[in-house]
Amino acid sequence: MIEFRKLKPFWTLLTLLICTSSLFAQSDKVRNVYFDTLKIGYVEPTPIGVDEMKYVGNEYIDKNDSSLMRYVTGIVKRDIDFYADFDLVPIDSFFIKTYEILEMDLRGWKRLGADYVLKLEAEFPGRRNMRVYWKLFYTFNYRRIDKGRIEVHRDEWRHMAHRISNEIVRTLTGEKGIFLTKVAYVKKIGKAKEIAIADYDGANERLLTNNGSINLSPTFSPNGKEIFFTSFLEKDPKLFKVNIASGRLTKLTDFPGLAAAPSVSPNGKRLACVLSKDGNSEIYVLDMKGRVKRRLTHNRSIDTAPSWSPNGNYITFTSDRSGRPQVYMMDSDGRRQRRLTYEGKYNDSPSWSTRGDRVIFVSRSKRGRFDIASIDTSGIDYHIMTEVGMNENPHFSPDGKHLVFSSTRLGKPDIFTMDVTGRHQRRLTRTGSCTNPVWGPIN
Amino acid sequence: MRRFNVLMTLGLLFVFMMLTACPTPPKVEPEATPIDTSTTIPEDVVTEEETDAPQEIIKESQFETVYFDFDKSSLRSDSKSGLDSNYDLLMQFPDVMVKIEGHCDERGTVEYNLSLGEKRATSCMDYLVGLGIDASRISTISYGKEKPVDAGHSEAAWGKNRRCEFKIVSQ
Repeated sequence: MIEFRKLKPFWTLLTLLICTSSLFAQSDKVRNVYFDTLKIGYVEPTPIGVDEMKYVGNEYIDKNDSSLMRYVTGIVKRDIDFYADFDLVPIDSFFIKTYEILEMDLRGWKRLGADYVLKLEAEFPGRRNMRVYWKLFYTFNYRRIDKGRIEVHRDEWRHMAHRISNEIVRTLTGEKGIFLTKVAYVKKIGKAKEIAIADYDGANERLLTNNGSINLSPTFSPNGKEIFFTSFLEKDPKLFKVNIASGRLTKLTDFPGLAAAPSVSPNGKRLACVLSKDGNSEIYVLDMKGRVKRRLTHNRSIDTAPSWSPNGNYITFTSDRSGRPQVYMMDSDGRRQRRLTYEGKYNDSPSWSTRGDRVIFVSRSKRGRFDIASIDTSGIDYHIMTEVGMNENPHFSPDGKHLVFSSTRLGKPDIFTMDVTGRHQRRLTRTGSCTNPVWGPIN
Repeated sequence: MRRFNVLMTLGLLFVFMMLTACPTPPKVEPEATPIDTSTTIPEDVVTEEETDAPQEIIKESQFETVYFDFDKSSLRSDSKSGLDSNYDLLMQFPDVMVKIEGHCDERGTVEYNLSLGEKRATSCMDYLVGLGIDASRISTISYGKEKPVDAGHSEAAWGKNRRCEFKIVSQ
């Protein structure tokens, strides 16, 4: 008996050691996980080369300055690599640059397959600021097609890098880049679930709520200044909003029963949500002060997860009126309710594509996996987009080219992004405790 | 340095374990069983509770937790018998107000499970009201899949998480 007690710590140690060693083995495997996906269509991204940033100022610079230059270049490269329409040209080991002459340099990039080359030059005016000149060249005729200058306080180097990437997107596609957008999600901290917000690439994470309660289902207002969510702060789940800049919290609803799944209309004047005040989960439209304007569904089954179409004319939602949860859509006044999905026994969490032609949702496969799927708004062309792990809560980026979702493919839930073809799957959070993501608008 | 020392001792202990563990297992196993029985002694506490027959105060743990099938809010026969015994308790203590908490397993989305948990709680409430309990004594809340009792990812864990718990609001 005594002997065993003495031995007990040894046993715990042994199990600990075994556990940790198996953990290491697992993380090794994790690095090699191939994110298998199905492509929707043929993509031919534009290959772009990004040159290392050069210093063009007159004064001497130190180590901090040169690492800042490397960081900015790194962020720009990551942005371009992520963007659906672009491909970052990797530098081949045989590409030894000895050319001082621009045309020779561009010729070298062209041989690596780059259609465009981004050149960056830095200065540090007054030591506090960082100024970057960016120049975009076309390797077909060796011409410069656009240039620009951005100057910020050197602490805002990350912001500047994203601004440069946005400029490249604007120049080459005419569209607005998403590199300065935010992603909000739910982060589990102990027993609490708090609303967190981060840059689109997962950097600069901060908590918007810190109340120790359960906070769920964040959604952005169209101007990107507020986040609406469900909170158990006052025991029963109610709708709240939080101002992103000030952190000010406002309670919106105080109905008996459940209030959940908020979704703000594109004009910012209406709030679709689920209330169970009449005995069962139904979809309602409220004004922005939380007063009921209209009840949209009337039946004894669950109706939930409303999401507005980009033009504000339709709402897609989940209902189990057929016996199983399926995706439906209706006019925004509740008329013409119709079922969208027939494939799969469990389809839920619908959300509209930015362009308005497709609805993405979570679909439960026969093997019990939850995948991200999409369907045309006419109810045809069902596609599965993920094929590993449990995947949840898909949301489009404001440019309609990327998706954010949560997945347990690496064991615990984290936030992932990918482009709509399924390429460039990237993990945003690394804590294994994040769910319920939503992508904020371009400001 | 200190950390290195800890690591070293850990390593040494491990090596020591490997050396000593091999011959010991036949010794340790029979000794492990008496320990098990000694740890499961809290039987005393249970018997103590039972001896308090003329009870004034009701405990939350006396209410039975009701379980459900996947994506269902309908009552199984075993959940009905659980509710029947909860009905007896509510009849025995007419001043007790309860809140029924609906819960779901981790599968499916947050929003749908919130509604499903609520539906489960409501079907428990409807059953009790049908038996004659005053509806004003019962309230419901859904936590969806946010408060699992078992964090596992197996059918066994899911089965434990698809439940309705009875909480005492006042008595």
